[in-house]
Amino acid sequence: MKHLLKLTHPIHLVSGLTLWALFFVVIYAGLSVACSVAPPDPERDMFTGINVGVGVVTLVTTALLGWLAWASVTAGRRAALRRECYFAYVSAGMFLFSACGTLFVGLPIAMLPPCL
Amino acid sequence: MNDIKDATLTPETCRLHQGLEEIWYNPRGWRALTIVNHTTVGLRFMVTGGIFFLIGGLLAMLIRAQLAFPGNEFLSHEAYNQIFTMHGTVMMFLFAIPVLEGLALYLIPKMIGARDLVCPRLSAFGYFCYLFGGIILLSSLVLEMAPASGWFMYTPLSSGDYSPGKGSDFWLLGITFIEISALSAGVELVVSILRTRTEGMALHKMPLFAWYILAMALMIVVGFPPLILGSILLELERAAGLPFFEVAGGGDPVLWAHLFWLFGHPEVYIIFLPGAGIVSTLIPVFAGRPIVGYGWVVAAIIIMGFVSFGLWVHHMFTLGIPQLALAFFSAASMLVAIPTAIQVFVWLSTLWLGKPRLTLPMLWILGFLVIFVLGGLTGVMLALVPFNWQVHDTHFVVAHMHYVLVGGMLFPLFAGLYYWLPHLSGRMPSQRLGKWSFWLIFIGFNVTFLVMHWTGLLGMRRRVFTYDSAMGWDLYNLISSVGSFMMAAGVALLILDLVLHFRFGRKAPQNPWNADGLEWAMPKPPTSYNFVTLPRIETRHPLWEHPELPRTIHEGQHDLASYTHGRRETWGSDAVSGKLRETIHLPGNSWWPLWCAVALAIVCISLLVRAYPVALIAFVVAVGLLLRWSWENGAHPRAAPDATVAPGQPPLHSRTMRGPGVWLMSVTHLANGSLFLSLLFGWFYLWTVAPEWQMPAASPLSLPLLLGAGAAITLGTLWLGALVRRLRHGSDSGLGGGMYLIAALGALQSLLLGFVIWQAELAPTQTAHDATLLVALLYVLLHGVLGALLCLLQGLRVGYGYVSAQIPLEPVVVLSLWRYNLITYWIVLVAIWGLPTLLGGAS
Repeated sequence: MKHLLKLTHPIHLVSGLTLWALFFVVIYAGLSVACSVAPPDPERDMFTGINVGVGVVTLVTTALLGWLAWASVTAGRRAALRRECYFAYVSAGMFLFSACGTLFVGLPIAMLPPCL
Repeated sequence: MNDIKDATLTPETCRLHQGLEEIWYNPRGWRALTIVNHTTVGLRFMVTGGIFFLIGGLLAMLIRAQLAFPGNEFLSHEAYNQIFTMHGTVMMFLFAIPVLEGLALYLIPKMIGARDLVCPRLSAFGYFCYLFGGIILLSSLVLEMAPASGWFMYTPLSSGDYSPGKGSDFWLLGITFIEISALSAGVELVVSILRTRTEGMALHKMPLFAWYILAMALMIVVGFPPLILGSILLELERAAGLPFFEVAGGGDPVLWAHLFWLFGHPEVYIIFLPGAGIVSTLIPVFAGRPIVGYGWVVAAIIIMGFVSFGLWVHHMFTLGIPQLALAFFSAASMLVAIPTAIQVFVWLSTLWLGKPRLTLPMLWILGFLVIFVLGGLTGVMLALVPFNWQVHDTHFVVAHMHYVLVGGMLFPLFAGLYYWLPHLSGRMPSQRLGKWSFWLIFIGFNVTFLVMHWTGLLGMRRRVFTYDSAMGWDLYNLISSVGSFMMAAGVALLILDLVLHFRFGRKAPQNPWNADGLEWAMPKPPTSYNFVTLPRIETRHPLWEHPELPRTIHEGQHDLASYTHGRRETWGSDAVSGKLRETIHLPGNSWWPLWCAVALAIVCISLLVRAYPVALIAFVVAVGLLLRWSWENGAHPRAAPDATVAPGQPPLHSRTMRGPGVWLMSVTHLANGSLFLSLLFGWFYLWTVAPEWQMPAASPLSLPLLLGAGAAITLGTLWLGALVRRLRHGSDSGLGGGMYLIAALGALQSLLLGFVIWQAELAPTQTAHDATLLVALLYVLLHGVLGALLCLLQGLRVGYGYVSAQIPLEPVVVLSLWRYNLITYWIVLVAIWGLPTLLGGAS
């Protein structure tokens, strides 16, 4: 199983997007549950704990994915086999896309109230 | 000197050809129903899908005839509702998916240098399920009781109160039956692509078409189960009154919309990806150069596969979901434009840098590029919430959907049809009739659907069966109807072209398009075993770099050139590197797939007419037949009793512990897990959102019994794990007895779960809470019974000598199921007992 953690393994072609998918499920489900259990006062607009929570999750996920993208590029440079280099570079692109996608999906918290 | 006809066959090679012909023989007459070969099954899928396409097209013509004039009385509103529902259903479920799967089943082994798919009986079974399911569904039209709630069957319109007839039942049961076929093909394609590539074909060297099909198959595996679950729940509501989607009973109709679109949006990409795969295969061939940015395309495929699962709510923008949540989905919907654009730019760059030849297949590709890009642009418009609200449920959406689906799937499919036609028939397609057909369809399509955008912007709803002249939609509708008949004339011409082709088409050379793919390195029409010998391939363009391959393969100069053992064989290779790992022995022709599908068809029909005792008997028979089918594996006399292989050849897969069966079970867990997660989603969704949900103050389930059942399955799994570990070390002592005792533990778990259900005195027809609880408990109960049955069979097989230290694969596969059962059992326990008890009886 240890070899799966190496960023030259093709499993990382999907691990970035899996993290993005988990992030997406967490923020959507979290928002739904939070709005159902403790909806904030509508007059607070987007200045609510829910927005802050989603924002923190967004930033943490983006940072993690960004770091993984950078680590993949490094792994690609050090790869011994051409195949490993290929997977590492494509994975780096996937991590980068996932990082940008995370930030883009989370961006509306700065503009919209959570439960209206 | 590169053609097959130039091959020099020695007497030994002639014997090899003859031997393989006998082993891979396709019988005729009634026994043709036993054929499991991927070429035949793939063709059957495509021909059957083509017939359903014509039926779906006929229904479209009826719709356009009705809408051509205001106040038209050509169809009654009842007939119209049935026809438009069936048009969408037939095109999506009976045409698009099965035809593309058929194409993949036909092509994939040929492209990756394999002799067949990894479990041929499964694909034959899938075909019969598809055929019977399609016939059952279409019979509803003949009986004038077809579903009439739209192809997405929204509740409560499709529920018992508003659709009291059999129409919705036909849809729910028929589609679920057909989805068995889609899932079986999905599982098989994933494992075949990953584990049966020829020697040396590393993952990053395989054809792009295989990447597209891998993504499509995985998306089917993950995307279809939510709809299967939704269909089961809705049928349970309609047939037995379990109120999953009824507000008064604690259910919620919006749950159906979630489950449907969790499937429905990825479905669009499931249909598009193979189409894009055809485009990515054909453009380099006709541009005469490798594709620009192979890695970019791979990345785009994977991104599409993931992001398309994050868009489902954009079909539900008007359902009252909070705006912030809508914004998440709106953003994700815009994100998906990026991988699409990557592919479009890759295609354009390849054309730009190459020397394109405007052949008939390329004409269809150009048509695709125009139409699909237009459809993509309106898709970005629809991803914007305010615009979406304005045009929701109007003909604008209908036009967008057709631009995406017809552009993204039908045009590439026709391109692929003309491209691979010589492969099947050995003849070249005509130019004149083919071009006429293209222009009629291309112009007819745009006349129909471009104008439909305006009809939608003027406010015409998508489901109205007629309209008043004062609305101002007359001219637009008439133009759309004229265009649709022009398109139909184009399809008729295409069929005529195909018929004439098989009679009058001129003989095709070995590689008629100067293609790079391995599928052109075999006789035309192909033999049932594809390749006489399997070559080592380390390039993305085998025929461009080694044009002699057709001849050398035919001359038997490559590997796996043995036949005296009488087995059907292909290589099993490493999923990443393509290094050889096993010799996979494949089953021969069999009646089991047909009989199993017949038994399931009887289950389907019995449920439809509510003859439940018959359904129960047929279900038991079906399970019995499926288990009997599984008996003929491994060292069974009809499989591979003799494990002898040629010197230097890898061992038979059933004599290893990492054969494709383990992969098949793992991919099946993905599908099963998707259904399980959908069920959990339903539980938590109703708990948190349904307005009338009633959570009792204390759980009605007995904790001691639940823990007892949990202990039984935990002990069984640990024991099975220990037996497998011993097998890994070459010891099978205590294997048979151990299997029987583990089966007893599985039976004990099932018994205790049965007790839990009986003792809880649930009222599933009264509350959605009890109904969901019951379904969750039945889910783990059925898995427990299956685990016990399989261990019982393993015990028997050890006795027969089909499983031992030398033949250790099957216990590994069964262990995988037990581990899945163990995980899901404890999750269910936490979800339905732990959390409600911890959080208290909330409303």
